[in-house]
Amino acid sequence: MTLLTTLMLAAASPTLPPTLPPTPAISAALTDTNVRVSSNFSGARIILYGAVFDPSKRPSDVVVLVRGPEQPVRITRRHKVAGLWLNSRPVVFRGAPGFYRAASNRPLADIANFGILRRLGAGMDHLPINAPAEQRVETRYGVRDVVVSKLGADYYVWRRAVVRLKESAGLYDEDEHGVRFVDQGLFRAEIALPAGAPTGIYRAEILLFQDGRPVARRSRTLSVEKVGLERALYVWAHVRPWSYGLASMALALAAGWAASAAFRRE
Amino acid sequence: MDIYLPIAEVAVNAPLIVALGALVGFISGMFGIGGGFLMTPLLVFFGIPAPVAVSSMALHVAGSSMSSVMAYGRRRAVDFRMGGVLAAGGVVGAFVGVELFRVLRLLGQADLIVALSYLVFLSVIGSLMLTESLGAILRRRRGEPAAAHRDRRPIWLYGLPLKVRFPRSRLYISVIPPLALGAFVGVLSAIMGVGGGFILVPAMIYVLRMPAGMVVGTSLMQIIITTALTGVLQAGRNQTVDVVLAVLLLIGGVVGAQLGARASSRFRAEELRAILALIVLLVGLRMGLGLFLTPDEPFVLMAGMVG
Repeated sequence: MTLLTTLMLAAASPTLPPTLPPTPAISAALTDTNVRVSSNFSGARIILYGAVFDPSKRPSDVVVLVRGPEQPVRITRRHKVAGLWLNSRPVVFRGAPGFYRAASNRPLADIANFGILRRLGAGMDHLPINAPAEQRVETRYGVRDVVVSKLGADYYVWRRAVVRLKESAGLYDEDEHGVRFVDQGLFRAEIALPAGAPTGIYRAEILLFQDGRPVARRSRTLSVEKVGLERALYVWAHVRPWSYGLASMALALAAGWAASAAFRRE
Repeated sequence: MDIYLPIAEVAVNAPLIVALGALVGFISGMFGIGGGFLMTPLLVFFGIPAPVAVSSMALHVAGSSMSSVMAYGRRRAVDFRMGGVLAAGGVVGAFVGVELFRVLRLLGQADLIVALSYLVFLSVIGSLMLTESLGAILRRRRGEPAAAHRDRRPIWLYGLPLKVRFPRSRLYISVIPPLALGAFVGVLSAIMGVGGGFILVPAMIYVLRMPAGMVVGTSLMQIIITTALTGVLQAGRNQTVDVVLAVLLLIGGVVGAQLGARASSRFRAEELRAILALIVLLVGLRMGLGLFLTPDEPFVLMAGMVG
């Protein structure tokens, strides 16, 4: 009621000068905010709808970043030792989301510069992934607190491998035409969750860019959770692993015994 | 029809997994083995994470061995005392094996050790079986009598202390060799996701010199006890047992095993051994091949176990 009166008052008094230039705004919603992983789960498609409100009609770009719960990544490199391909010592990378999608209406590199994309973590190359256990701080050439990685020059090869492997597992993706403007200021993006998507809370960040800078943002959360039997078994196996182990073994032995009894009667 | 596995966290095609269970069950019923050595690599091939495949196989092996051991028990073809001694060794081996597997996974070397174990054990056993069975087939073709059974038991088997009488097997030997054999197979069952029948059976025949009629039933008894423990330990320590996967495999495995047991009567024993030897050899070489081929992707993500 009060909102309506305010709006009417604002419309009725055109003499009042606008105190601020009109700020662009962005708004968005997900078709589904709760993805349920049950026994027939084989991935999900979630549509994100949104609108750009900008009276000035300046050219706008929209970037949608979806991040799943953070999962540390253990990665190893195979190298040849005396004719055999062996695994190296595993390296743990932190800061890697378990799921990542960057969708935009045109290539990210055309929308904003390197520094801005890096700061926002927009794009697979700009994810804040690092291997803290491999780092040490030392003084080099008289400069104090230089962060040095034990992986040396290979560090970026390792980091790129994390992204590449996640991408080939369908967990990371970058779609430079994933955001489509369907009408004046109205856009739509599709988020495809593979069956292997981790469970947990996902955050979708919707960013409006103008002249290469982010001018408005919105964020939405999405939860992916196991339900029903899937959830019960998962929780049981992790909270009371011993009773779960005993019960599943009893089930297996009982099945074997039942089968032998059944086939004997024939 | 895809089904989502709660622990493996991947979706698999349920009829495919049941069919896989049936195929391995058929082979297992036909040759009187657990079939873990074949199933675990196949599961990994179909996208199940290796630790989950290895651990869930323990349930499958225990269940399908349970279904066969009942039949052997009714025929009085199980030496419970020998089975108990082997299983006591197996229990120790399983504890060691599960902890060893945990450490290997933390070091990132689990894949290597699994591949190497497959390569070494399967190719050695496969080649020995192949030579022996081909020899038997050739001799039969030429109409020669079967090779005389060498009844000379290795001397060290009798020199060891702690002798025990095993009336059903008509043996009076030290408990140390069966204990050690059981422990060794227990470690393998935890690391390779196998029951260990393919090692246990030849060892019982050629090293312990047990009567052939007792061997399969007794080895099944040891396998059930060891894999039952391995399964519970894997669930408790590593949380890698997927009961849904195990149930799917068991459904197919139970039916396949019965069909396989019926089909086996159509072949001669040495022909069966030759086919089995070929399968064992192929699986071993295929698993080992990965160690020598240049990988397409030099980096490997390691599932779970981030501490």
